[in-house]
Order: sequence, then C-alpha cells, then structure tokens
Amino acid sequence: MQGHKPLVAAMLEQTMPEPIHPLVITDLHKSFGDNPVLRGLSLTARKGDVITLIGASGSGKSTFLRCMNLLERPNAGEIVVHGESIRFKDTRRGREVADHRQVERIRSKLSMVFQNFNLWAHMTLLANVIEAPIHVLKVPKAEARARGMALLERVGLAERANYYPAQLSGGQQQRGAIARALAMEPEVMLFDEPTSALDPELVGDVLRVMRELADEGRTMIVVTHEMAFARDVSSQVVYLHQGRVEEAGPPGQVLDNPTSPRLRQFLAPKH
Amino acid sequence: MDLAWLDFQGYGPRLIEGGWLTLRVAVLSMVIALLLGMFTASAKLSSSALLKGVATFYTTVIRGVPDLVLMMLLFYGGQIGVNMLTDYLYDATGGRIDWFIDIDAFTAGVITIGFIFGAYMAETFRGAFMAVDAGQMEAARAYGMSPLKAFQRVRFPLMMRHALPGLGNNWMVLLKTTALVSIIGLTDMVRVADEATKATHQPFLFLLPVALGYLAIASLSELLFQWLTRRYSVGFTEAND
Repeated sequence: MQGHKPLVAAMLEQTMPEPIHPLVITDLHKSFGDNPVLRGLSLTARKGDVITLIGASGSGKSTFLRCMNLLERPNAGEIVVHGESIRFKDTRRGREVADHRQVERIRSKLSMVFQNFNLWAHMTLLANVIEAPIHVLKVPKAEARARGMALLERVGLAERANYYPAQLSGGQQQRGAIARALAMEPEVMLFDEPTSALDPELVGDVLRVMRELADEGRTMIVVTHEMAFARDVSSQVVYLHQGRVEEAGPPGQVLDNPTSPRLRQFLAPKH
Repeated sequence: MDLAWLDFQGYGPRLIEGGWLTLRVAVLSMVIALLLGMFTASAKLSSSALLKGVATFYTTVIRGVPDLVLMMLLFYGGQIGVNMLTDYLYDATGGRIDWFIDIDAFTAGVITIGFIFGAYMAETFRGAFMAVDAGQMEAARAYGMSPLKAFQRVRFPLMMRHALPGLGNNWMVLLKTTALVSIIGLTDMVRVADEATKATHQPFLFLLPVALGYLAIASLSELLFQWLTRRYSVGFTEAND
C-alpha cells in the first residue's frame, strides 16, 4: 500500500484546482465623469498576503481600495471574493450592481479600516465592535460581546470598552476600528491610509497592531505612505501611477531596486 | 375653600373632552407629519428627478398657502374627491361596488395638519440628514448593512441630534394649529370655550383655562424633548469621569 502514496500525491497535485484566493481583481476600470481614475488594474491577494498600495496622491490607490468593497462602483472589471464573483448588470445609467444582497454579504467579508476611523459616534467602543457581528452576521449577543472584549484586549483598549469615540485619542480610535474590523472575521482587511490622520506619536501603536495581524497570517491590503511598514511587512508592494500599476513585486525588489524612473523619483528622499 | 367654580358653569366636562380631542389631534397629526417629513426629506435627497420634483412641489405649495385655506380645501375638496371616486367605481362596476365613504371632521383634521406639518418636518429632516458625517454611513455600508439597517442603526440615531431642536419647534406650532379644527366642526377646547363664552359672557373663565391647557401640554412636551435631546446626544458630550 505504501507504494501508492507518491502516486496518489502526484495525482492530487495534478487534479488539485487552483486554491481559492481571498480576493482576485481583474482589469478594473473606474472614471469619475470623463476623468479616468483606474485604467485596468488587476490584483491577486493569496491567503496571508499583505499587499501595500503606494503612489502619489491622485494615483488612484484609495479609489482602487474603495472599489474592492464597492464603496465606489467600478465601470468595468471583475472582483472575485473567495471564489464568488460580484455580479453586475448594464442599465441605462451604466453598469450597476445586480444583487445588493450579494454586495452586502461580500462587504461583510472585507472589513475596512478608514483614514478617519469612522467609528460610530453614538456607540461605545464595545458597541462599535459588536454592532456588525450582531446586526449583519447575526452572531448571538453574548458571544459577540465576549469576542468583542477579547479583541479590545488585543488592541490594548479593554479598559476603554465603555468610552465613546469622542473620548478617545485618534490612535485609540483607530485601534478600536481595527478591533471592529477583526470582529467580522474577514477574508481580507482593507486599510485606507490608516495612519494618515494620526499625530506622529500615535502612529506607532497602530502600526504595531497591524504588524501583529500580518504576522498571524491575516490577508491585508493597505494603502499607505509608511514606507518602513511597506518594506518590513508586505509580501507585495504595488506602485500605482495615474490609475495603472507602474511596478509591483516583493518589497525588496520594488522599494530597493525600482526600475521605473517615476517610482525612483517617488521614493527619493524629499528635500 | 369654595371649589364650585371648577364646575365652569357646567362646561367643565366638555372643556376636558375638548382638551383630550386637542391632544389626540395633535399627537396623531404629529405622527403623520413625522412619517411624511421623513419620506419627503429622503425624496429630496434622492437621485431621482421625479421624486425630487414631487417633494419640492409638495413643500413649496404647503408652505406657501395658509393653513386655514388648506384645512378647508382638504376637508371639502377631499370629500368631493372621494365622492367622485366612489361614483366612478359604482358606474364602472355596474353597481357592484357601492361604497359611501364619509370623511369625518376628525380624520380630515388630523390628515390636513399632518400634511401641512409634513412639509415643515421635511426641511428639518433634510438639514439633519445632511449634517450627519458621510463617513458614518460609509462605515455602515462597508460593514454589510442593508440600506434599512444602516438607517435604523446609524443614520436615524445620528440625525436625531440635529433634528430635535427643529422637531420641538414644529411640535409647538402644530399643537397650536390644532385650534383650526374647530373651523371644520370639531369640538376642541377652543371651540368649547368659545361657545361657553358666548352663552355666559365670561370670557376669562373659559379662555384662561384653555390657555393654561395648551401651556401644560407644551411644558410637558418640553420635558420630553429635553429627555430625547439628552438621549440622542450620547457620545457627543464629554462624560465627567
């Protein structure tokens, strides 16, 4: 019987389908009016990937991220979340989402962390964290609370659970927002310039939490200006320029040996 | 102490009934006004040109025509309209649908006042909707909430903080506008007082309690609005720890 093992393994290898990736985006286009912002972007996030999107302002990196969970509606292209393709239909007003329920379900698998935190101002920190699990995922309240407290513990905010966002510093709010994102047990976490609105001394705490998430194998897509973070943490760096991928690859290659002159200029120390 | 004056020359019970009617008309038309105002505000902020147009027409007409005229138009015009409809149904079905719908003064009053104040509420709600930080709703959508859920859980509670001062104001005006229902034959407390005054020639004996009646309702609702304001301001004022 033992002799069969390599054969079985070989057969498995041959017939094994492509693994289902958390997020695959193909040829995404987006215009605001006549102004094209994204011109054919593709990206594959494998499980555990940390992909950082970098680029000058106006390069389309935030719009790209916001298209992934349909906060912006792309004009063309395919978005596949864990094997499920988002369905669109053509209408007189252009391409629209075919099934809003599907989009809501897919959004709940792609937690977003915003530049301005966007914690719900009328809810305590804990209420923020358990809100979507209870009301979207239908997790029982007690279970959501227990998990929520554990997550706040993780990001160092357990003793702030009953504070309102307005009573917290920016860094605390952003760590709370990360706990809110984690509470969804997402396929992919989307970070939209998570440290850009923070005072410099508060950036470190947020980046530390994000590094821990990367270390434990979370799939993350991060729009950022933090080059040190991109270098240390990402599995892939994507440099966008005018809505196109100008250069992409492992951070050592993209950040240390850029081939594109524009990227070289972008990375050059500012004077 | 002689408490005989509390009998109000026999008009006491009728005054109380009138006050109760005033309160019912006010509360019911407030409910209609709130719902209508919410829909109209949403319509005005929607991307549909048709909805926007209808909503703008409604608020412009209502706010530009005196309440009294609207009240009479709706009371008389409404009955004529309903009669035309039932006549048409009778003819069209060869007499099989033979309805007679009588719009009573109470229904007409409540609907008219609700209809009028819906237009004012719409403007209050529209401003309040726009005052809510867009990022709050964006987060609701990003976390998979349906439009209804996002409204219930995020937009409505955040909007109320901005809407309450205007709502309170509109409620006070609405309360006093209910006095107009006596025009279409309802016996609210103003009408009772007016009848009693004409019969007894003692205006102050009847009009002062009516004034106090309105004042009492207004003061109680002031307390309610203060409580609501505190409730919907949670998270926006620094707690004292």
